[in-house]
Amino acid sequence: MVLVGTPPSDTDGERGLLRRARTGDPAAFRVIFERHSPAVWRFLRDLLRDEAAADEATQETFVRAHSRLGALRDEDRVGSWLLGIARHVYLESRRTRGVHVDVADEEHAHQVEAVLPTPSPEDLLLDQELAGLLTEALGMLHAERRAALLLRIDHGLAYEEIASVMGWSLPKVKNEIHRARLRLREQLAAHVGGGRP
Amino acid sequence: MSTCRESELDALLAGELAPEDASRVRAHAEGCAACKHALAWQRLERGWMTQRARRELVRPALSFSALEARLAVAQKAPAPVRHARREGQWRHWGKMAMAAAAAVAFVGLSLPRGGAGVGVGVGVGTEEPWSRELIVATGVEACEDAAAALEARVGACLIASPVLALRAD
Repeated sequence: MVLVGTPPSDTDGERGLLRRARTGDPAAFRVIFERHSPAVWRFLRDLLRDEAAADEATQETFVRAHSRLGALRDEDRVGSWLLGIARHVYLESRRTRGVHVDVADEEHAHQVEAVLPTPSPEDLLLDQELAGLLTEALGMLHAERRAALLLRIDHGLAYEEIASVMGWSLPKVKNEIHRARLRLREQLAAHVGGGRP
Repeated sequence: MSTCRESELDALLAGELAPEDASRVRAHAEGCAACKHALAWQRLERGWMTQRARRELVRPALSFSALEARLAVAQKAPAPVRHARREGQWRHWGKMAMAAAAAVAFVGLSLPRGGAGVGVGVGVGTEEPWSRELIVATGVEACEDAAAALEARVGACLIASPVLALRAD
């Protein structure tokens, strides 16, 4: 790989970086990596629930992304494209490791909405204990449902982008995210609205 | 909003709605206890996820130099998929060659034997070598080169060809 032109900076737009990376500019790909790898790693860690496995899967995601830079059509969606690759890496990793730890994500939608407390502003503070409980509650969700929810509330993807990443219809995306939210709230209800121990 | 839709509230918080849709959803949520409740939870979830993301420590594995080393290995390594495809192609050609050999053998063995023109076919003595005329008339000669080439390729005699008997003569 050979450096081309002026070095890219963190403020360069995604399109420009992508074009430079496609010409073989490693500095441009480096900026893309440094910009997106924390989110990709976090997504993979939340799916795999294993930090070392997430390290490996993140590297694999970017190796694949590097070889497929030319395949990205929508240059404004580098983030969701990378998360889509990451999801495939996760699925392969799960198959390879033979891990299938999804819990029975039973539906209690009707009851949940009735008993959930209303959060207060004080609840916004995520202390160490609550952060642990949040991670645990996310882990209780079915993996695919968890992925969809995280793509929305953690990574800020639009519903259409999530549909593309997950290979789902738009109504399914909305439905799955809604169910995931209710399940998550059910898990955390005891720690919200003055209900903290 | 005729019915409460969490995805619309979510889109409102994310600033994804057009101004008129945002006004409509906001107006509905102000008078709907269920939507107010859902909005409060959504704000909480967003706040938590933001704090969670900010607290993530930098992972050593996320250094670009580690990735560069891996990219270099990936670029040098041969693509395993291509090998698989080639193997598949060779297997395919092997099957084709075997099928062709079987077809040639079938033609060779099922051709009538005996004198040219008269009495060709059923009832002709099986031990008699084929005449040159019969070979020309049935077009077997045209197959001679192809059969020989095929045999040379697989390195074995594939058929008990009458042409070989003629050659011996």
